[in-house]
Amino acid sequence: MIVPIGPIHPALKEPIRLKLQTEGERVVKAELEYGYVHRGIEKIMEGKTWQKAIYLSERVCGICSYEHTQTFAETIEQISDVDVPLRAQFLRVITNELDRIQSHLLGNSTFFKSMDHETLFMRVLEMREYAMDSIELLTGNRVNMGWNVVGGVRMDADERHFEPILKNLEIIENEFERTRALFAEGPALALRCKGIGVMTKKEAIKGRAVGPIGRASGIKEDYRVGHYTYDDHFDFKVIRRTEGDNYARTLTRFDEIPESISLIRQAIENIPEGEVRTPVDLKSGYAMRQNEAPRGEVTYMIETNGPLIKNISIRTPSIANMDSCAKYMIRDVPTVADAVATYATSDPCVACAERVAITNEAGKTTIKYLDEVI
Amino acid sequence: MLDAIKDVVRKSSIHVCIVNCGGCNGCDVECVALLSPRYDLEQFGIYVHNNPREADVLLLTGAVTEQWKDNLKRIYDKAPEPKIAVAVGNCPISGDVFAQEGGHVNAPASNFIPVAAEIPGCPPRPNEILEAILAVGPQAIADRGREQK
Repeated sequence: MIVPIGPIHPALKEPIRLKLQTEGERVVKAELEYGYVHRGIEKIMEGKTWQKAIYLSERVCGICSYEHTQTFAETIEQISDVDVPLRAQFLRVITNELDRIQSHLLGNSTFFKSMDHETLFMRVLEMREYAMDSIELLTGNRVNMGWNVVGGVRMDADERHFEPILKNLEIIENEFERTRALFAEGPALALRCKGIGVMTKKEAIKGRAVGPIGRASGIKEDYRVGHYTYDDHFDFKVIRRTEGDNYARTLTRFDEIPESISLIRQAIENIPEGEVRTPVDLKSGYAMRQNEAPRGEVTYMIETNGPLIKNISIRTPSIANMDSCAKYMIRDVPTVADAVATYATSDPCVACAERVAITNEAGKTTIKYLDEVI
Repeated sequence: MLDAIKDVVRKSSIHVCIVNCGGCNGCDVECVALLSPRYDLEQFGIYVHNNPREADVLLLTGAVTEQWKDNLKRIYDKAPEPKIAVAVGNCPISGDVFAQEGGHVNAPASNFIPVAAEIPGCPPRPNEILEAILAVGPQAIADRGREQK
């Protein structure tokens, strides 16, 4: 029997259709149907200046909106051959890691909600509010920050705000140990997660899983390693696990939070004085850049013609993670409830996922990932 | 008498369904933030469960993409009377940045279903969403309940 879930359903936060093929209570196979949030962002960006396009790139995804603007700005900077002032690079790291904290906490809280564990859901959301406060203190906005510009960041941070940000991080850290232990050592919740939705390392590579989802299966990739700011000035550990089940994915996301907190502390401690924005002489050319968004690598491929954008294509992590989730994780899962929880651990973000729409002759529209088109 | 009792009941228990008809998730995460202990939506008698068949208030986010043109009306019809739709964010009001050449959106949402209230912002803050639901929701639902008779 096929159980359709969505597009609007209590278990889902975003419009997507999940088709589960069941045998009795067991879920044998899953299929995803995309196409509910295709807005044509890349097409709108064509022929626009970066000031207009960066505004759109922020609205590719509302949860990890920050990393999109940073990657966009860095790509244009690479084309124009500009070095960003060091203070701006440090401010970018602070904002990026704050964004990662809130996104990971949101992803985990959604998972706990799908497991019907209301206590943890509430606690994790409460922790997230402190990260949101810090983001608001630093940038002035909660979700779409508008923080990056080509050549630096929009404005200098107020040094007085660093103190409350550090205090907020301390609150998150104090809560963190208890919350993590509640999940990792609580028998009821941990037992329901261990060994469910297992994706081996080979399958993760085959399904192109990235970010915490790939790292939970044993993949090493983290695009912060290799990024110029992180390599030269920061010290951090890439979190990796090998089990590849729901438990590992949730813990990978949890364990990355202390790393992010330590990165923010390093940045605030060592932040240099100076300019935050440099004038950019825009050149024509092509560049590709990858960065580590909360959900994995995000790639921008931009071709410019003077100040105008000629061609742009955006690769987001969600589509690879969701595809590998449907293909490898939801396979022989004991119950339908577990299948929905497995879908939630892949941290799906449907708004990210939909870039290219292909209409065939019969008029049927399908949304495809760019690699499959070329 | 019966109407008065019904009004009280309707006003004090509001079920909300978030309908993302093609947004960027920004407004959705702010709606989820409302559930957190800081804002604590449930102390006002509001319950978010994302099930259109039990909803009194449909929170619309997003700029009505191609797939949602027919589905939006269908979701709205599924919700039992009395019901209202509240547009959250700029997208369902005007299409925001997506209403340009090349964009595949069909905003505003009020072309497809009646919208009772609009909350502008990209995205609006959680307390603004909460304020709007509380300011418009109870009375609008009670009024619509009386109209429907």
